[in-house]
Amino acid sequence: MKIVPIVGLILAAAPLWAHHSFSAEFDINKPLKLQGVVTRWELTNPHSWIHLDVKSPDGKTVTWMIEGGSPNSLFRLGFNKDSLPPGTEIMVEGYQAKDGANRAVGAKLTFSDGRKLFLGGSVPGGNPDSAEPPAKK
Amino acid sequence: MRHRLAGLRSALAIAIAAGLLAPTLVRGQAWTPARTPDGQPDLQGFWSNVSITPLERPAELAGKEYFTDRELAEVEKQAEKPKGVEVLGGTIAHYDFLQFGLDQTQAKHALNHRTSLIVDPPDGKIPPLTPEAVKRAAARAEARKHSGAGPYDGPENRPLSERCIFMTEGPPMLPEAYNSNLQFQQGPGYVAILQEEIHDVRIIPLDGRPHVGPNIHEYMGDSRGRWEGNTLVVDTTNFTDKTRFMGSTESLHVVERFTMLDADTILYRFTVDDPATWVRPWTAELPMTRIQGPLYEFACHEGNYGLANTLSAARAEEAKQAGK
Repeated sequence: MKIVPIVGLILAAAPLWAHHSFSAEFDINKPLKLQGVVTRWELTNPHSWIHLDVKSPDGKTVTWMIEGGSPNSLFRLGFNKDSLPPGTEIMVEGYQAKDGANRAVGAKLTFSDGRKLFLGGSVPGGNPDSAEPPAKK
Repeated sequence: MRHRLAGLRSALAIAIAAGLLAPTLVRGQAWTPARTPDGQPDLQGFWSNVSITPLERPAELAGKEYFTDRELAEVEKQAEKPKGVEVLGGTIAHYDFLQFGLDQTQAKHALNHRTSLIVDPPDGKIPPLTPEAVKRAAARAEARKHSGAGPYDGPENRPLSERCIFMTEGPPMLPEAYNSNLQFQQGPGYVAILQEEIHDVRIIPLDGRPHVGPNIHEYMGDSRGRWEGNTLVVDTTNFTDKTRFMGSTESLHVVERFTMLDADTILYRFTVDDPATWVRPWTAELPMTRIQGPLYEFACHEGNYGLANTLSAARAEEAKQAGK
Protein backbone atom coordinates (compact mmCIF):
# COMPACT_ATOMS: atom_id res chain seq x y z
CA MET A 1 0.00 0.00 0.00
CA LYS A 2 1.25 3.43 -0.90
CA ILE A 3 1.52 5.88 1.96
CA VAL A 4 1.93 9.05 -0.06
CA PRO A 5 -1.56 9.12 -1.60
CA ILE A 6 -3.08 8.56 1.82
CA VAL A 7 -1.27 11.58 3.23
CA GLY A 8 -2.48 13.55 0.23
CA LEU A 9 -5.99 12.44 1.01
CA ILE A 10 -5.83 13.70 4.57
CA LEU A 11 -4.57 17.10 3.48
CA ALA A 12 -7.34 17.27 0.91
CA ALA A 13 -9.84 16.46 3.63
CA ALA A 14 -8.82 19.34 5.86
CA PRO A 15 -11.70 21.80 5.88
CA LEU A 16 -11.35 25.56 6.00
CA TRP A 17 -10.07 26.18 9.46
CA ALA A 18 -11.74 29.31 10.60
CA HIS A 19 -14.77 31.43 10.00
CA HIS A 20 -12.58 34.26 8.74
CA SER A 21 -9.31 34.62 6.92
CA PHE A 22 -6.42 35.09 9.31
CA SER A 23 -4.32 36.62 6.59
CA ALA A 24 -6.92 39.38 6.03
CA GLU A 25 -6.85 40.30 9.69
CA PHE A 26 -3.36 39.65 11.01
CA ASP A 27 0.09 40.28 9.58
CA ILE A 28 2.34 37.27 9.09
CA ASN A 29 5.23 39.76 8.89
CA LYS A 30 4.51 41.11 12.38
CA PRO A 31 5.19 38.18 14.71
CA LEU A 32 5.37 39.16 18.36
CA LYS A 33 6.01 37.82 21.83
CA LEU A 34 4.21 39.37 24.77
CA GLN A 35 4.39 38.78 28.49
CA GLY A 36 1.65 40.26 30.57
CA VAL A 37 -1.11 39.96 33.11
CA VAL A 38 -4.62 38.90 32.19
CA THR A 39 -7.21 41.56 32.99
CA ARG A 40 -10.21 39.98 31.27
CA TRP A 41 -11.16 36.96 29.19
CA GLU A 42 -14.07 37.42 26.79
CA LEU A 43 -15.47 33.96 26.20
CA THR A 44 -17.34 34.83 23.04
CA ASN A 45 -17.92 33.01 19.80
CA PRO A 46 -16.65 32.70 17.17
CA HIS A 47 -13.39 33.48 18.98
CA SER A 48 -12.43 34.17 22.58
CA TRP A 49 -10.38 37.28 23.37
CA ILE A 50 -7.89 37.66 26.20
CA HIS A 51 -7.18 41.18 27.44
CA LEU A 52 -3.60 41.47 28.60
CA ASP A 53 -1.71 44.28 30.36
CA VAL A 54 1.84 44.36 29.05
CA LYS A 55 4.56 46.52 30.61
CA SER A 56 6.76 48.14 28.01
CA PRO A 57 10.48 48.76 28.70
CA ASP A 58 9.77 52.43 29.55
CA GLY A 59 7.44 51.35 32.34
CA LYS A 60 4.18 52.17 30.59
CA THR A 61 1.38 49.63 30.62
CA VAL A 62 -0.21 48.81 27.28
CA THR A 63 -3.38 46.74 26.97
CA TRP A 64 -3.43 44.10 24.25
CA MET A 65 -6.31 41.97 22.97
CA ILE A 66 -5.43 38.43 21.97
CA GLU A 67 -7.69 36.33 19.76
CA GLY A 68 -8.07 32.69 20.75
CA GLY A 69 -10.14 29.63 19.95
CA SER A 70 -13.89 29.11 20.11
CA PRO A 71 -15.18 28.82 23.70
CA ASN A 72 -17.37 25.88 22.66
CA SER A 73 -14.26 23.86 21.87
CA LEU A 74 -12.47 25.08 25.00
CA PHE A 75 -15.42 24.08 27.24
CA ARG A 76 -15.22 20.57 25.82
CA LEU A 77 -11.56 20.49 26.77
CA GLY A 78 -12.49 21.29 30.35
CA PHE A 79 -12.01 25.07 30.43
CA ASN A 80 -14.53 27.53 31.79
CA LYS A 81 -14.67 31.21 32.63
CA ASP A 82 -12.77 30.65 35.85
CA SER A 83 -9.84 28.93 34.14
CA LEU A 84 -7.97 32.11 33.36
CA PRO A 85 -8.60 34.51 36.25
CA PRO A 86 -7.50 38.15 36.10
CA GLY A 87 -3.99 38.49 37.44
CA THR A 88 -2.66 35.38 35.72
CA GLU A 89 0.69 36.01 34.10
CA ILE A 90 0.98 34.56 30.61
CA MET A 91 3.22 34.62 27.54
CA VAL A 92 1.79 34.98 24.08
CA GLU A 93 3.36 34.25 20.74
CA GLY A 94 1.30 35.54 17.88
CA TYR A 95 0.87 37.98 15.04
CA GLN A 96 -0.23 41.60 15.25
CA ALA A 97 -3.34 43.04 13.56
CA LYS A 98 -2.71 44.48 10.12
CA ASP A 99 -4.08 47.88 11.12
CA GLY A 100 -1.31 48.23 13.70
CA ALA A 101 -3.64 48.23 16.72
CA ASN A 102 -2.70 46.44 19.92
CA ARG A 103 -4.54 43.34 18.87
CA ALA A 104 -3.03 40.01 17.94
CA VAL A 105 -3.90 36.43 17.25
CA GLY A 106 -2.55 34.12 19.93
CA ALA A 107 -0.76 31.30 18.18
CA LYS A 108 0.85 29.85 21.29
CA LEU A 109 -0.03 30.69 24.86
CA THR A 110 1.91 29.60 27.92
CA PHE A 111 2.04 30.38 31.60
CA SER A 112 5.13 32.32 32.61
CA ASP A 113 6.80 29.06 33.72
CA GLY A 114 6.43 27.65 30.20
CA ARG A 115 3.46 25.34 30.81
CA LYS A 116 0.96 25.44 27.98
CA LEU A 117 -2.16 27.42 28.77
CA PHE A 118 -4.68 25.40 26.77
CA LEU A 119 -3.68 21.80 26.93
CA GLY A 120 -5.76 20.69 23.99
CA GLY A 121 -5.30 17.00 23.38
CA SER A 122 -4.05 16.14 26.84
CA VAL A 123 -7.02 17.02 29.01
CA PRO A 124 -10.20 15.03 29.72
CA GLY A 125 -12.23 14.89 26.56
CA GLY A 126 -9.21 15.47 24.37
CA ASN A 127 -7.58 12.83 22.27
CA PRO A 128 -4.79 11.32 24.39
CA ASP A 129 -2.99 10.07 21.29
CA SER A 130 -2.44 13.60 20.11
CA ALA A 131 -1.05 14.92 23.36
CA GLU A 132 2.29 16.63 23.21
CA PRO A 133 4.80 16.28 26.02
CA PRO A 134 4.71 19.19 28.45
CA ALA A 135 7.01 22.07 27.55
CA LYS A 136 10.38 21.96 29.32
CA LYS A 137 11.04 24.68 31.80
CA MET B 1 -29.75 17.59 -26.74
CA ARG B 2 -31.53 19.55 -24.04
CA HIS B 3 -34.39 17.06 -24.12
CA ARG B 4 -32.07 14.11 -24.04
CA LEU B 5 -30.32 15.57 -21.02
CA ALA B 6 -33.63 16.22 -19.30
CA GLY B 7 -34.69 12.62 -19.98
CA LEU B 8 -31.42 11.29 -18.64
CA ARG B 9 -31.77 13.51 -15.59
CA SER B 10 -35.21 12.25 -14.64
CA ALA B 11 -34.17 8.64 -15.27
CA LEU B 12 -31.18 9.15 -13.00
CA ALA B 13 -33.25 10.88 -10.35
CA ILE B 14 -35.69 7.96 -10.31
CA ALA B 15 -32.87 5.42 -10.16
CA ILE B 16 -31.19 7.29 -7.31
CA ALA B 17 -34.43 7.72 -5.41
CA ALA B 18 -35.10 4.01 -5.76
CA GLY B 19 -31.66 3.28 -4.38
CA LEU B 20 -30.65 1.45 -7.55
CA LEU B 21 -27.40 3.32 -7.99
CA ALA B 22 -24.43 3.77 -5.75
CA PRO B 23 -24.51 1.04 -3.12
CA THR B 24 -25.11 2.28 0.39
CA LEU B 25 -22.71 1.66 3.21
CA VAL B 26 -24.13 -1.46 4.79
CA ARG B 27 -22.90 -2.83 8.06
CA GLY B 28 -24.44 -6.01 9.40
CA GLN B 29 -28.18 -6.41 9.61
CA ALA B 30 -30.67 -3.58 9.33
CA TRP B 31 -30.97 -1.89 12.70
CA THR B 32 -34.38 -1.36 14.22
CA PRO B 33 -34.30 1.87 16.18
CA ALA B 34 -36.33 2.52 19.32
CA ARG B 35 -39.57 4.52 18.94
CA THR B 36 -40.50 7.93 20.24
CA PRO B 37 -43.74 8.12 22.29
CA ASP B 38 -45.60 9.11 19.11
CA GLY B 39 -44.22 6.13 17.22
CA GLN B 40 -41.43 7.64 15.09
CA PRO B 41 -38.08 5.87 14.81
CA ASP B 42 -36.01 7.65 17.46
CA LEU B 43 -33.06 9.60 16.04
CA GLN B 44 -32.89 11.93 19.01
CA GLY B 45 -29.69 12.91 20.69
CA PHE B 46 -26.36 14.50 19.89
CA TRP B 47 -24.40 13.66 16.77
CA SER B 48 -21.10 14.59 15.15
CA ASN B 49 -20.78 14.84 11.39
CA VAL B 50 -17.03 15.31 11.52
CA SER B 51 -15.41 13.45 8.66
CA ILE B 52 -11.85 12.85 7.59
CA THR B 53 -13.12 11.68 4.20
CA PRO B 54 -12.95 14.32 1.46
CA LEU B 55 -16.10 15.25 -0.45
CA GLU B 56 -14.47 14.40 -3.78
CA ARG B 57 -12.18 11.44 -4.44
CA PRO B 58 -8.55 12.55 -4.77
CA ALA B 59 -7.02 11.92 -8.20
CA GLU B 60 -4.48 9.46 -6.81
CA LEU B 61 -7.32 7.22 -5.57
CA ALA B 62 -9.17 7.20 -8.92
CA GLY B 63 -11.06 3.96 -9.43
CA LYS B 64 -10.79 3.01 -5.74
CA GLU B 65 -14.13 3.31 -4.00
CA TYR B 66 -13.25 1.79 -0.62
CA PHE B 67 -10.24 1.43 1.63
CA THR B 68 -9.48 -2.00 3.02
CA ASP B 69 -9.50 -2.33 6.82
CA ARG B 70 -5.71 -2.06 6.83
CA GLU B 71 -5.65 1.01 4.63
CA LEU B 72 -8.35 2.65 6.70
CA ALA B 73 -6.33 2.01 9.84
CA GLU B 74 -3.41 3.85 8.19
CA VAL B 75 -5.68 6.72 7.11
CA GLU B 76 -7.00 7.04 10.66
CA LYS B 77 -3.46 6.98 12.04
CA GLN B 78 -2.42 9.78 9.70
CA ALA B 79 -5.52 11.77 10.63
CA GLU B 80 -4.60 11.57 14.30
CA LYS B 81 -1.41 13.51 13.70
CA PRO B 82 -2.15 16.94 15.08
CA LYS B 83 -2.36 19.68 12.54
CA GLY B 84 -1.09 22.44 14.75
CA VAL B 85 -1.10 25.34 12.34
CA GLU B 86 -3.33 26.80 9.75
CA VAL B 87 -2.26 26.17 6.19
CA LEU B 88 -3.89 28.76 4.00
CA GLY B 89 -2.85 29.31 0.42
CA GLY B 90 0.53 27.82 1.17
CA THR B 91 1.18 30.22 4.05
CA ILE B 92 1.62 28.63 7.42
CA ALA B 93 0.29 31.10 9.92
CA HIS B 94 -1.33 31.84 13.18
CA TYR B 95 -3.11 29.31 15.39
CA ASP B 96 -1.87 26.30 17.20
CA PHE B 97 -5.17 24.52 16.69
CA LEU B 98 -4.19 21.70 18.96
CA GLN B 99 -3.99 24.05 21.96
CA PHE B 100 -7.41 25.48 21.31
CA GLY B 101 -9.02 22.11 20.74
CA LEU B 102 -9.93 23.04 17.21
CA ASP B 103 -8.19 20.30 15.29
CA GLN B 104 -10.12 17.28 14.13
CA THR B 105 -7.93 14.87 16.04
CA GLN B 106 -9.90 15.90 19.11
CA ALA B 107 -13.33 15.43 17.55
CA LYS B 108 -15.09 12.09 17.48
CA HIS B 109 -15.93 10.80 14.01
CA ALA B 110 -17.42 7.63 12.55
CA LEU B 111 -15.23 5.24 10.59
CA ASN B 112 -15.86 5.41 6.86
CA HIS B 113 -14.26 3.00 4.40
CA ARG B 114 -15.18 5.21 1.46
CA THR B 115 -12.48 7.23 -0.29
CA SER B 116 -14.91 10.09 -1.01
CA LEU B 117 -18.20 11.27 0.45
CA ILE B 118 -19.60 11.42 -3.09
CA VAL B 119 -20.98 8.00 -4.04
CA ASP B 120 -22.61 8.99 -7.32
CA PRO B 121 -21.30 9.73 -9.94
CA PRO B 122 -19.20 6.61 -9.35
CA ASP B 123 -15.95 8.52 -9.96
CA GLY B 124 -16.59 10.39 -6.69
CA LYS B 125 -16.49 13.81 -8.35
CA ILE B 126 -19.02 16.62 -8.53
CA PRO B 127 -20.51 16.43 -12.05
CA PRO B 128 -19.46 19.08 -14.60
CA LEU B 129 -21.17 22.46 -14.53
CA THR B 130 -23.75 23.19 -17.19
CA PRO B 131 -22.74 25.77 -19.83
CA GLU B 132 -25.29 28.07 -18.18
CA ALA B 133 -23.54 27.76 -14.80
CA VAL B 134 -20.15 28.50 -16.35
CA LYS B 135 -21.58 31.59 -18.02
CA ARG B 136 -23.25 32.67 -14.79
CA ALA B 137 -20.00 32.50 -12.81
CA ALA B 138 -18.17 34.44 -15.53
CA ALA B 139 -20.90 37.10 -15.62
CA ARG B 140 -20.72 37.47 -11.84
CA ALA B 141 -16.95 37.90 -11.92
CA GLU B 142 -17.29 40.45 -14.74
CA ALA B 143 -19.98 42.40 -12.85
CA ARG B 144 -17.75 42.50 -9.77
CA LYS B 145 -14.87 43.86 -11.85
CA HIS B 146 -16.97 46.76 -13.16
CA SER B 147 -18.99 47.52 -10.05
CA GLY B 148 -16.17 49.52 -8.51
CA ALA B 149 -16.81 47.69 -5.24
CA GLY B 150 -13.91 45.89 -3.66
CA PRO B 151 -14.27 42.77 -1.53
CA TYR B 152 -13.20 44.73 1.57
CA ASP B 153 -15.27 47.89 1.05
CA GLY B 154 -17.77 47.16 3.79
CA PRO B 155 -19.38 44.38 5.80
CA GLU B 156 -21.87 43.60 3.02
CA ASN B 157 -18.98 42.74 0.73
CA ARG B 158 -17.65 40.06 3.06
CA PRO B 159 -18.70 36.39 2.86
CA LEU B 160 -21.76 35.27 4.84
CA SER B 161 -19.54 33.16 7.11
CA GLU B 162 -17.42 36.15 8.18
CA ARG B 163 -20.61 38.06 8.87
CA CYS B 164 -21.86 35.26 11.15
CA ILE B 165 -24.90 34.76 8.93
CA PHE B 166 -24.39 31.35 7.41
CA MET B 167 -21.64 28.74 7.32
CA THR B 168 -22.08 25.24 5.93
CA GLU B 169 -25.40 24.40 7.57
CA GLY B 170 -26.96 23.49 4.26
CA PRO B 171 -28.88 21.41 3.60
CA PRO B 172 -27.02 19.40 2.57
CA MET B 173 -25.21 19.41 5.91
CA LEU B 174 -21.47 19.06 5.42
CA PRO B 175 -18.97 19.02 8.28
CA GLU B 176 -17.99 22.38 9.76
CA ALA B 177 -14.35 23.20 10.38
CA TYR B 178 -14.96 22.72 14.11
CA ASN B 179 -17.91 22.49 16.52
CA SER B 180 -19.40 20.17 13.91
CA ASN B 181 -22.12 19.01 16.27
CA LEU B 182 -25.83 18.39 15.76
CA GLN B 183 -28.83 17.77 17.97
CA PHE B 184 -31.93 15.93 16.75
CA GLN B 185 -35.17 16.54 18.60
CA GLN B 186 -38.51 14.93 17.69
CA GLY B 187 -42.07 15.75 18.67
CA PRO B 188 -45.41 14.65 17.26
CA GLY B 189 -45.31 15.50 13.56
CA TYR B 190 -41.92 17.19 13.59
CA VAL B 191 -38.18 16.62 13.53
CA ALA B 192 -35.90 19.50 14.49
CA ILE B 193 -32.19 19.57 13.70
CA LEU B 194 -30.02 22.06 15.58
CA GLN B 195 -26.52 22.73 14.31
CA GLU B 196 -24.08 24.09 16.87
CA GLU B 197 -22.17 26.21 14.37
CA ILE B 198 -23.65 28.68 13.87
CA HIS B 199 -26.68 27.90 15.99
CA ASP B 200 -29.23 27.26 13.26
CA VAL B 201 -32.24 25.03 13.70
CA ARG B 202 -34.25 23.40 10.95
CA ILE B 203 -37.82 22.48 11.88
CA ILE B 204 -39.11 19.78 9.56
CA PRO B 205 -42.86 19.03 9.43
CA LEU B 206 -43.80 15.42 8.71
CA ASP B 207 -47.51 15.85 7.95
CA GLY B 208 -47.24 15.84 4.16
CA ARG B 209 -48.00 19.53 3.71
CA PRO B 210 -46.76 21.03 0.44
CA HIS B 211 -43.70 23.27 0.18
CA VAL B 212 -44.23 27.01 0.65
CA GLY B 213 -45.08 29.03 -2.46
CA PRO B 214 -42.52 29.72 -5.20
CA ASN B 215 -42.02 33.35 -4.15
CA ILE B 216 -40.65 32.43 -0.73
CA HIS B 217 -36.92 31.76 -0.51
CA GLU B 218 -34.96 30.83 2.60
CA TYR B 219 -31.28 30.50 3.45
CA MET B 220 -31.77 26.91 4.57
CA GLY B 221 -34.60 26.27 2.11
CA ASP B 222 -37.99 24.82 2.97
CA SER B 223 -37.81 21.26 4.34
CA ARG B 224 -40.56 18.62 4.38
CA GLY B 225 -40.02 15.19 5.91
CA ARG B 226 -41.54 11.74 5.79
CA TRP B 227 -40.67 8.29 7.08
CA GLU B 228 -39.88 5.50 4.62
CA GLY B 229 -39.71 2.56 7.02
CA ASN B 230 -37.00 3.50 9.49
CA THR B 231 -35.46 6.09 7.18
CA LEU B 232 -36.23 9.79 7.56
CA VAL B 233 -36.45 11.39 4.11
CA VAL B 234 -36.27 15.18 3.95
CA ASP B 235 -37.05 17.09 0.77
CA THR B 236 -35.86 20.71 0.59
CA THR B 237 -36.60 23.37 -2.02
CA ASN B 238 -37.13 27.18 -2.03
CA PHE B 239 -33.49 28.15 -1.52
CA THR B 240 -32.12 31.66 -1.97
CA ASP B 241 -29.39 32.47 -4.48
CA LYS B 242 -27.36 33.92 -1.60
CA THR B 243 -26.16 30.68 -0.07
CA ARG B 244 -25.10 29.07 -3.37
CA PHE B 245 -24.17 25.56 -2.36
CA MET B 246 -21.16 24.84 -4.61
CA GLY B 247 -22.38 27.48 -7.06
CA SER B 248 -26.02 26.36 -7.12
CA THR B 249 -29.05 28.60 -7.75
CA GLU B 250 -32.35 28.98 -5.95
CA SER B 251 -33.66 26.03 -7.99
CA LEU B 252 -31.48 23.70 -5.88
CA HIS B 253 -33.37 20.59 -4.75
CA VAL B 254 -31.96 18.50 -1.89
CA VAL B 255 -33.20 15.09 -0.75
CA GLU B 256 -31.65 13.80 2.47
CA ARG B 257 -31.97 10.33 3.98
CA PHE B 258 -31.21 9.54 7.63
CA THR B 259 -30.94 5.84 8.53
CA MET B 260 -29.68 4.41 11.81
CA LEU B 261 -27.08 1.70 11.21
CA ASP B 262 -26.72 0.91 14.90
CA ALA B 263 -27.44 2.58 18.25
CA ASP B 264 -24.60 5.07 17.75
CA THR B 265 -24.48 5.65 13.98
CA ILE B 266 -26.74 7.44 11.52
CA LEU B 267 -26.00 7.05 7.83
CA TYR B 268 -26.62 10.45 6.28
CA ARG B 269 -27.12 10.42 2.54
CA PHE B 270 -28.09 13.32 0.32
CA THR B 271 -28.82 13.90 -3.34
CA VAL B 272 -28.57 17.40 -4.77
CA ASP B 273 -29.99 18.46 -8.09
CA ASP B 274 -29.96 21.83 -9.81
CA PRO B 275 -30.51 21.69 -13.57
CA ALA B 276 -29.15 25.24 -13.79
CA THR B 277 -25.84 24.20 -12.24
CA TRP B 278 -24.82 20.56 -12.80
CA VAL B 279 -25.34 18.30 -15.81
CA ARG B 280 -26.80 15.63 -13.51
CA PRO B 281 -27.81 15.12 -9.86
CA TRP B 282 -25.16 13.85 -7.44
CA THR B 283 -25.20 11.95 -4.19
CA ALA B 284 -22.95 11.78 -1.14
CA GLU B 285 -23.12 9.97 2.17
CA LEU B 286 -21.37 10.10 5.49
CA PRO B 287 -21.87 8.30 8.77
CA MET B 288 -22.62 10.45 11.83
CA THR B 289 -21.58 9.24 15.24
CA ARG B 290 -23.30 9.75 18.59
CA ILE B 291 -21.57 12.17 20.95
CA GLN B 292 -22.08 13.40 24.48
CA GLY B 293 -24.22 16.48 24.79
CA PRO B 294 -24.99 19.17 25.37
CA LEU B 295 -24.60 21.52 22.44
CA TYR B 296 -23.50 25.00 23.43
CA GLU B 297 -24.87 28.25 22.16
CA PHE B 298 -22.84 29.74 19.35
CA ALA B 299 -23.73 33.43 19.48
CA CYS B 300 -21.48 34.29 16.57
CA HIS B 301 -22.31 38.00 16.42
CA GLU B 302 -21.48 38.40 20.09
CA GLY B 303 -17.72 38.47 19.68
CA ASN B 304 -17.24 38.91 15.99
CA TYR B 305 -14.38 41.41 16.28
CA GLY B 306 -12.83 39.59 13.33
CA LEU B 307 -15.08 41.37 10.82
CA ALA B 308 -14.14 44.83 12.13
CA ASN B 309 -10.46 43.86 12.26
CA THR B 310 -10.56 42.63 8.67
CA LEU B 311 -12.12 45.88 7.44
CA SER B 312 -9.77 48.10 9.47
CA ALA B 313 -6.84 46.09 8.08
CA ALA B 314 -8.06 46.95 4.58
CA ARG B 315 -8.39 50.67 5.48
CA ALA B 316 -4.84 50.66 6.89
CA GLU B 317 -3.58 49.05 3.69
CA GLU B 318 -5.37 51.67 1.58
CA ALA B 319 -3.86 54.50 3.64
CA LYS B 320 -0.42 52.96 3.19
CA GLN B 321 -0.91 52.73 -0.57
CA ALA B 322 -2.23 56.33 -0.73
CA GLY B 323 0.78 57.58 1.20
CA LYS B 324 3.26 56.07 -1.24
